[in-house]
Amino acid sequence: MAAALAVDPPVAAPVVDDQALIDAALAGRSDAFEEIVVRYERAVYNLAVRTLRDATEAQDATQEAFFKAYRALNTFRPGAKFSTWIFTICYRLCCDRLAKRKRFSNDELPDRADPSAGPAALAERNDEALRLRAAIDDLPEKYRTVVTLYHLQGKQYEEIASVLNLPLGTVKTHLFRAKEQLRKALTP
Amino acid sequence: MTHDDDFADLDRMLAALPLEDAPVGLRARILTATVYRPEPAMKPWEIWLIGTFVALAVWLGWLVATAPYAGERFVDTANRLIEMGGLTSVTTFLWLAVGVSAAWWVSQLTFPSTRRIRIR
Repeated sequence: MAAALAVDPPVAAPVVDDQALIDAALAGRSDAFEEIVVRYERAVYNLAVRTLRDATEAQDATQEAFFKAYRALNTFRPGAKFSTWIFTICYRLCCDRLAKRKRFSNDELPDRADPSAGPAALAERNDEALRLRAAIDDLPEKYRTVVTLYHLQGKQYEEIASVLNLPLGTVKTHLFRAKEQLRKALTP
Repeated sequence: MTHDDDFADLDRMLAALPLEDAPVGLRARILTATVYRPEPAMKPWEIWLIGTFVALAVWLGWLVATAPYAGERFVDTANRLIEMGGLTSVTTFLWLAVGVSAAWWVSQLTFPSTRRIRIR
């Protein structure tokens, strides 16, 4: 279901699978890697921005994730899912950034870049998507990331567990609690 | 009734939640950092090789310079080598010139690259 959201519709008619694009990129076709960027840029950015809650840092993390993936493209295991791989790289980079933030600040993690757009203000606009986004942003980090990956990848719990390096049961528990909190937050 | 049923509305909302657009210019930034990143002037192994040779040369130079009577011995050895190698004759210089120019021409040759992307 939501997995389809992670991938932009291709502009050209023939749909090439990710593995073929990776092979082509490794063979020297820069346009193949460009196509990979086009497909996953939004999804990776969304994961970063939801995890970090800072648009500028999310851009940096997204760029770094693609850079790392590009450098390590020859280590990508054939048959694996590229989305899982790039999400894993991005999530680890986000964790490093969050850890750095905690190290340099004794305070709680900073909120979104735009504090005026808090849940209350957004609720007034009566926009379901905005309210849902705000509610997701208010979740604790571990729940927020699980929900974001659930949004990006759909009900592929194994993939989510792989990205987060968590047991499958923990992922399901986090997701259940996250949904409970979301439901509470969205109930008028 | 399963958990999925409990959260059916929420799942529908999540499925309908559009992804945020990536900021303008992010794609260009990514591509500049990856496929359009300029090739480094030298590869890491070339830098290591040159560094090793330079270190070796410095070490040898230090050994020679700190040896007793280093100056006199250097001049003596150089003189002997020049005489032995016939470096005073015009024919030797001619062949040296031919060798240097051949090396220069070879260094100017270019070969078509088979890979446009190099994974560094």
